[in-house]
Amino acid sequence: MRGALLIAKKEFLELTKDRKTLFLVFVMPFLLYPAIFTMMAKLGKRSEDQNRNKASRIYLVDPSATLVPILKADPKQFELVAKPEGDLRQAIRDQKLELALEVAPEAGAALQKQETFQVTATVDESERASNIALKRLKGALEPQEKNWIQTRLKTLSASPQLAEPLKLEVKNAADTALEVGKAIGTMLPYLLMIMMYSGSMQHGIYATAGEKERQTLLSLMATRLPRIQIILGKLLYIFSIGVISALLNLVSLGLSISILGSDSTSSVQTMSAIANPMTLGLTFMIMVPLGLFFANFILLMGIQAKTTVEAGTAIMPGMFLVIFLGVFTMAPGVDKMAFLSYVPVVNVCLALRKLFSQQFSWLEYLVSFAMTVGLAGLMTLVSTRILNQEKALFKM
Amino acid sequence: MIHLNEVHKSFTVKDRKTRSSKCIDAVRGISLTVKPGEIYGLLGPNGAGKSTTLRMIASLMDPDSGSIEVCGQDTKQKPEAVRSCLGYLSTDMGVYTRFTPRELLRLFGEFQDVDPLVAERRGLHLLDKLQLSDFADVKMDGFSSGQKQKVSIARALLHDPKVVIFDEPTTGLDVLTAKTVLDLLRIMREEGRTVIVSTHVMPMVEDICDRVGIIFDGKLHGDAPPREILQSRRAKTLDEVFFQLAAESEGAN
Repeated sequence: MRGALLIAKKEFLELTKDRKTLFLVFVMPFLLYPAIFTMMAKLGKRSEDQNRNKASRIYLVDPSATLVPILKADPKQFELVAKPEGDLRQAIRDQKLELALEVAPEAGAALQKQETFQVTATVDESERASNIALKRLKGALEPQEKNWIQTRLKTLSASPQLAEPLKLEVKNAADTALEVGKAIGTMLPYLLMIMMYSGSMQHGIYATAGEKERQTLLSLMATRLPRIQIILGKLLYIFSIGVISALLNLVSLGLSISILGSDSTSSVQTMSAIANPMTLGLTFMIMVPLGLFFANFILLMGIQAKTTVEAGTAIMPGMFLVIFLGVFTMAPGVDKMAFLSYVPVVNVCLALRKLFSQQFSWLEYLVSFAMTVGLAGLMTLVSTRILNQEKALFKM
Repeated sequence: MIHLNEVHKSFTVKDRKTRSSKCIDAVRGISLTVKPGEIYGLLGPNGAGKSTTLRMIASLMDPDSGSIEVCGQDTKQKPEAVRSCLGYLSTDMGVYTRFTPRELLRLFGEFQDVDPLVAERRGLHLLDKLQLSDFADVKMDGFSSGQKQKVSIARALLHDPKVVIFDEPTTGLDVLTAKTVLDLLRIMREEGRTVIVSTHVMPMVEDICDRVGIIFDGKLHGDAPPREILQSRRAKTLDEVFFQLAAESEGAN
């Protein structure tokens, strides 16, 4: 094993000699995530402030002036605007106003006769400002509607509870930690897999096909080190760099969230409830064999390729597969398909998802772990056997 | 000592046009012996089988049949033992340009299990011999091909090998650097090392080689001192012998 360690040492030494790569691997994650999160938080806050402080612009058609007093009651919430030029729907889509409200002409009379009148609201549900306007409108109309119902019931000398046979009270069984945990559990495995694969991929190509392209592999093979040790050394390096990349990205991601959320005590408490040492330890433990599986695939493809371009072409589909499987496991209902515990890669995502969403099952975790370890072991056996052959290293 | 006995090697290549596999006999029954204190010149055109033969001697490739012994060890049975007593250099070998020569030699010293202090001392001595000591701590990414070749030579000789294989050591080198390499080969002969060199440069062969073997179509022709080959072929230069063999080879095909 000494030879493998020496080869891995050589690869790491080479890495340390390239400042640009060092910066990208070790420093960039600690700049990128805080920058992204700060920007996202600032933009989100700005947009939220704007929406909260800005009155929703409404074009109102109300010939009987039934709803006018309600909408004019709070100028901070609603601003009645004149009819925009051209198509009304297009004006909403163009964000010239947030909502158009058309009240039936006979609304006043209908109210007098205790009949129902029609109100049509046109909104752009894909726009947050439009949705806020609709929510505000519903909030303003609801008490008025209740008021009208109570008046009608009073006229009929009926109990106010007549129009309210049941009162639904919703109690949320999930606490904030569970909600955040579920969200993280859905995203995290996907992110980890991508970080691990992409981290291994770049350096794996450099250490395998790159060595062939730079014609240095032969000088390694001409040393007294057994061929298998060279292969294992490269595998160790690709695996380690994948794990390091994923860990650094994770740490930076976690730090960014914690630091940016540190202004509210509850967010820190929530994060610490989810990211406890056991959860993180189990996450790391199951990611290790998965990283080894990825490293084997990259090594196998990389060493057999003649050039870095050829290696990239061979390794890239693996990345797409990882993305596809990651996205697949995020789909709702997937976690209820029991057979997926036996599907490699997918089972790791699902095990982590359940781990973070407080639905952890040791059995499922151990099945996924054992399967991934078995798969990584098998892949190591296959790749070292294939690559130990002369034709793999001297591809004609 | 190097000893080859009826060595064969073939490769299967794919013909993309016909989509069929083709078997190419790269080496066909080569037998030769190179003794300590001798420089053996292996000549032949491109694709004749020189590099394959040298790679098999260096235990980088296994022969399909026949046997090769280097320093008394079978290359197929004990490849690591063979490589530990052998220094191999080929023109298609690059250097790790992110390192300085000193760093590279230190690293290869570890690979060859040489004591770090010995590797440091021997590495600097070799760089000095190759007139590269001023560049010992300079990153190699700006080195010329000649400078890189010198570093490769130092790397190949770092572990003080008894057998040295140089595959086209002067290709791409200027006259002065080529002379340094040739001088080094002579020193190695004087030190009693077994040296085998493949080249296209005929004057170099006539100048330094004790014996010469010419490979054509994977077969060894000759295997005698250069003068004897010239006499037997009634030629004035090895170039002439080369052309004669090429004509014979074409006639036979």
